[in-house]
Amino acid sequence: MKKLLQSLFILMLVASAAFAQDRTITGTVTAKEDGSALPGVSIQVKGTKVGTQTSADGKFSIKVAQGQSALTFSFIGFIPKTVTLGNGSNINVSLESDSKVLSEVVVVGYGTQSKREITGSQSTVKAADIANAPILSPEQALQGRAPGVQVTQASGTPGGGISVRVRGPSSIGASNQPLYIVDGVPINTGSYTQLGAGGQLTNSLGDINPSDIESLEVLKDAAATAIYGSRASGGVVLITTKRGANQATKLTFNSYYGVQELYKQLPVITGQEYITLLNEAVNTRYGATTGYNYLTGLSNNPANYANTNWQDYIYKTAAVKNYDLSIRGGTDKTKFSVSGSYFDQDGIVIGSGYKRYSGRVNIDNKISDKFNVGISSSFSNATSNRVNNDNNIYGVVSGSILLGPHVPAYNANGTYGGDPVSSVDNPVASALETTFTAVNNRLFANAFGEYKITDNLKFKSSFGVDYVQSRDRRFYPTTVNAGRGSKGSGAEGYNQEMNIVNENILSFNKTFAGKHALNAVAGVTYQTSQYESIYAAATVFPGNSIRRISAGAVKTDASSGGTSYGLVSYLARANYTFADKYIIQGSVRVDGSSRFGANNRYATFPAASVAWRASEENFLKNSKIISDLKFRASYGLTGNQEIGNFSSLPLFGVGAYIQSGSLVPTQLGNPDLTWETAKSYNFGFDLGFFDNRLSFTVDGYRRNTVELLLAQPLVGTSGFTSIQKNIGAVKNEGLELGLNAVIVNSKDFKWDANFNYTKNKNQVSTLYGGIPFASGFASWVEQGQPLGAFRGYVVDRLFQSAADVAGSPLHSSATRAGDIKFKDLNGDNVITAADQQIIGQGLPTFFGGLTNNIKYKNFDVSFFFQFSGGNQIYNNTRAFSEGMNGLFGQTTAVLNRWTPTNTNTNIPRAIYGDTPNNRRTSTRWLEDGDFIRLKNANIGYTFSPSLVKRLKLNSLRIYAAGQNIWTKTKYQGLDPEVSTFSDTNTAPGTDFLTFPQARTFTFGINVGF
Amino acid sequence: MKLNYKLVLTVVSLGALLTASCQKETLDQAPQASLDASTAIKDAASVTAATLGIYSGYQSANYYGLRYQIFADLYADNMAHTGTFPSYAAIANKQILPDNTEISAMWNSMYSSINRANTVIAAVPTVADASVVKDNVLAEARILRANLYFDLIRYWGGSNTGFNKAGGIGVPLILTPTLVEADAAPKARASEATVLGQVISDLDFAIGVSTFGNGNVAGRVGKDYAKALRARVALYMGDYATAQNYATELITSTRYTLTAGADYKNIWALKNTRESLWEIQYEPTNSNGIAFQYYTTATGGRNEIGTASGLNTAHEAGDLRQSVNATATGGTASNLKTLKYTRVATGDDNVVMFRLSELYLIRAEARAQIGADLVGALADVNVVRTRAGLPASAAATTADLMTAILKERRIEFAHEGHRFFDLKRTNTLATTIGAASFGTVGAINNSFRALWPIPQREVLTSGGIIAQNTGY
Repeated sequence: MKKLLQSLFILMLVASAAFAQDRTITGTVTAKEDGSALPGVSIQVKGTKVGTQTSADGKFSIKVAQGQSALTFSFIGFIPKTVTLGNGSNINVSLESDSKVLSEVVVVGYGTQSKREITGSQSTVKAADIANAPILSPEQALQGRAPGVQVTQASGTPGGGISVRVRGPSSIGASNQPLYIVDGVPINTGSYTQLGAGGQLTNSLGDINPSDIESLEVLKDAAATAIYGSRASGGVVLITTKRGANQATKLTFNSYYGVQELYKQLPVITGQEYITLLNEAVNTRYGATTGYNYLTGLSNNPANYANTNWQDYIYKTAAVKNYDLSIRGGTDKTKFSVSGSYFDQDGIVIGSGYKRYSGRVNIDNKISDKFNVGISSSFSNATSNRVNNDNNIYGVVSGSILLGPHVPAYNANGTYGGDPVSSVDNPVASALETTFTAVNNRLFANAFGEYKITDNLKFKSSFGVDYVQSRDRRFYPTTVNAGRGSKGSGAEGYNQEMNIVNENILSFNKTFAGKHALNAVAGVTYQTSQYESIYAAATVFPGNSIRRISAGAVKTDASSGGTSYGLVSYLARANYTFADKYIIQGSVRVDGSSRFGANNRYATFPAASVAWRASEENFLKNSKIISDLKFRASYGLTGNQEIGNFSSLPLFGVGAYIQSGSLVPTQLGNPDLTWETAKSYNFGFDLGFFDNRLSFTVDGYRRNTVELLLAQPLVGTSGFTSIQKNIGAVKNEGLELGLNAVIVNSKDFKWDANFNYTKNKNQVSTLYGGIPFASGFASWVEQGQPLGAFRGYVVDRLFQSAADVAGSPLHSSATRAGDIKFKDLNGDNVITAADQQIIGQGLPTFFGGLTNNIKYKNFDVSFFFQFSGGNQIYNNTRAFSEGMNGLFGQTTAVLNRWTPTNTNTNIPRAIYGDTPNNRRTSTRWLEDGDFIRLKNANIGYTFSPSLVKRLKLNSLRIYAAGQNIWTKTKYQGLDPEVSTFSDTNTAPGTDFLTFPQARTFTFGINVGF
Repeated sequence: MKLNYKLVLTVVSLGALLTASCQKETLDQAPQASLDASTAIKDAASVTAATLGIYSGYQSANYYGLRYQIFADLYADNMAHTGTFPSYAAIANKQILPDNTEISAMWNSMYSSINRANTVIAAVPTVADASVVKDNVLAEARILRANLYFDLIRYWGGSNTGFNKAGGIGVPLILTPTLVEADAAPKARASEATVLGQVISDLDFAIGVSTFGNGNVAGRVGKDYAKALRARVALYMGDYATAQNYATELITSTRYTLTAGADYKNIWALKNTRESLWEIQYEPTNSNGIAFQYYTTATGGRNEIGTASGLNTAHEAGDLRQSVNATATGGTASNLKTLKYTRVATGDDNVVMFRLSELYLIRAEARAQIGADLVGALADVNVVRTRAGLPASAAATTADLMTAILKERRIEFAHEGHRFFDLKRTNTLATTIGAASFGTVGAINNSFRALWPIPQREVLTSGGIIAQNTGY
């Protein structure tokens, strides 16, 4: 297959030859609407078979024999035109579009296609859709706007991780994030930090300034993605950045300023209620007269304690601001786009924030009619001020809930208050005293040259570099628990990844005899990636002022590492359209990856698709109602190679003992290791009414991912716990609906709406040996269940008396009245681990969004709702804040706890240490995760051209916008859009002391000079 | 058009060249921080490194870096759970479920170390380097393997009533390295007798290697540790004569001396005193988190575990060890800590694997049980008591001596991971911690809990080949 593609590549170079003629007519063909050049227009000398096509810039040159007097210009989507030749040798022709068809050109893998030719499923988000939203990274632009694309912001952490799932998660052990391609170059994604914060990671995609983006294309089915082969099973996101145009230089300045605030606090008990509760809990456990004093040696009198609502201390109203300046313009020969931006977001949690400087230069130059060169380049510098959170006793949001309210924030002498017996630190100290930053620098450059070998055949070679460098710093001073014992504890890490991509692509585009349109690409690409890291840590610092490792007397860690991978690919795609009605497309990619076993280094990913444009058939062609109807079907294979770089090799790693190096076996080899394969089917149709004022896109899909890259569990007695294998399967089935409507379209009043809805059913179809396994806090991966299912005990009710306990299945020797009665699911009259079942699922089964854009005279209004549901959230925060098991702060729910005099409740009794295990994983902590959110709304005013002229400006608009304005949900936690495990495959939808998203109000201005 | 064909040819030949060279270069990537397993052990340096790798396994927090010895006191009456981990709470409450993550982590870690030992034992005979004294390497690796298997038996094997009883159950006995996937096939549990037989054979091999030293390199085992462990194993098995013989041999060797009672805390404060036969070495760069787990947040720890108030009150008045076993760092009942692990900042507390005082108490118990030398038994107990600043005991019968010895062991080896095993091997779990009492965290109220559950994961993954212990 590899050989075949190599030959094909060569063949295509050779196969194209122009026809020699005698007399020459030259000219340019443009579109009548906007004057843009039309490439690929078929030109025929009338009455002959002699013909040619316009080039990429709409130019043509044709030799006409004596006696021939007319040329026919035809182009799909435009009304054909015949032009009689005069004496001149130069004619310019403009074609009028045939309104019934879509002439839009969309970006596809390794090229562009006319929307009419598209046989696959892909969704577009354009710059205008996201223009006014205060978003930080490109994935946020996709949220709720593209059918089939589920975007979950794991937390409100500025610059934090975002999980994107195209048509559901298809892998268990490898990454499920889509492949991101910026201006043709696959880029590094994910988190580069070497320092954990408890739950949330950093997000290197935040390096890409959303306002530089012209469009995002999400490729979904195999017809669209298979050309990206082994990295495409999670979908592909093509990001195209803004470029210059042949126009007068335009300078644009956009800016907004906003305030962010917490929109919900958890209701916590007072310090007095807390001491009362602990007295009760300790006495219940150890007998009367012991109380809080028994644990701590401190007073049992609630009146002696403070009353601190930590949330009041750690949340604040925070600013977000953004400045964008861009200059775009160009001439016929050279086009440029230069932009710079500064984004600065303060977190609503003290101590957190994100700051980014970014710049981009895109230049295109036409050296000759045949030779174009260009470059896309960007640089960014992003600094995250991080705070510990989630599953972290030194966390800030964590501490605000878990530290008791009886502790004062500050002591009388000004030092931080603390609980001498709790492991949880003062969250104010954690946030303000700790130094914790991550700096991400990214340099991206992609240079290309494109040579037009003939009018129909182009060769493009590009060389791209994506360099990410990340620098982590953390210092715990002696004023926080994490640094107290170690007399200051510092850690610093540097790492970098250099990704080099070389692509060589031939593309062919020709319409034969006006009826047979062929669009083909073939290419060879190479990619290598080199990762390097260095890390050092030290303790015992001379005070808290010098916070660099050099000051730490005891160096506790110093290490460096490096790893690499390489990918060689051959690819080809051909798209053939007959009579503008019947379309057939085939693509194939052969990938060779260093990541895989010697026996399985290469793999082939083919795809085939067909489409039928029924609206071009005679029975519909003249319909006044139906303006577009296209049926599409595709099938193909894609892969996933996102595992460690050397998972196939048997390895020895390093260690140390008595200050000497040691060697230890670390990994079992698997020479047969190969790609995950996703087999995708897609059936869909596009339907437009009334000149496409109302249009639907409906797709049904099924994707079976097999040979999953999964760690097959081994018995621990082997000395290893797993081996990387290709085992197991996951299935996703779903339906996507996109609806666009231009509701009103008059001069002064325009209203359009966009709605999308996706239903996805995910199922783990096969696991190794059918053995289920646990993940996260309550998540459970089991055959026949969706990924991210929750498993636990089922709460029945509370025990009300000793007789009640005695007459029920045995729970534990500590169970008494007031404890939870769990259901004895297997009926063996004793509650054991076997009495657990699947109790919910963390993955939404449906999601979507609704956007309305309204323009009235100079005013514009838009609002965007996002919704998702069908899932549950495991609220592990409540398992602590209502658990009454230890020295943790509690919410007001515990005030209704069971006591002999308060029996009509569902909150169990308080017993220190929770010996009956009332807080075990159960339906008690599971909540409905459905929500609908007014994600974004804005109102703008565009000043009239006359006024703007007087101000010596080109354009001027001001607006006010809101983000996360309103949320409707039954979820009791801070935010229903949550994932404490960041971008997890197996444990989504778990909340554990996670930084909530803010409600933001912004004011902005767009100025054109 | 000629120009175009030329160009095409140029591009094609360039492309072909590029393709051939780039392809190999791009796909030939090698790990930078690891070695290919098949050629890793090849000379003296790599043999030493692989042997030290077994010790690296011992350092794991899932073995002697924390869990192994801590849980033996937490799963008894010496330690209290003061922190937040539910998996620790289950151990302290004596309600361990088979899916408890602590026990599977320990099990996996210990077998990983066994695989390291097996790898060395299998590879050394084939190493061509003449400077490798193969028998010495084998002796060292086999002592470490024996220790691991004995430790597995202590938690997961034996019988409800103790060790070396009829029908005692063992653990899977793996003696060859896992090099390829096929080697990883599950193996059923061997009998306790078979496993202990292997332990004895490994130790006897090491004791019999004439070139093998007594243990002069700090931090590494030698013949003396093999003999000491042999004595301990014999005591557990009721082979009192052997226990007495090896204990006597080491006590009379004069290579080891008891630290003075007044300096008792220096056994840990100073490291590698002459009282220790073997200590696992830690440095700030290769540290453990034991002290961190104990100490309160105010002193830089996380206050996860502490000394049980019952242990504190079990000390007789004037016992010099009390301030080591139960320091009042927080000033309150549940905040008692220990001076055996104190280096919160640097994490470089050594873990003492065998001390001379244990040899005295082993010999005392062996003599008491044999019954022929009760006076000698009492003398041995009193060596330990006297050092602790306590008056001599007057116990004169086997039963009284056993009571005195067990009590002495509880105090002397508190926080060192002996308590649960001592109660298990003497079949006194039920009588000692069978009922919940004030200040005691939990009670072992079912006899099956004398054996820990085999990790659920292991039972499932082996498809039942590795059988669960009764009761779970």
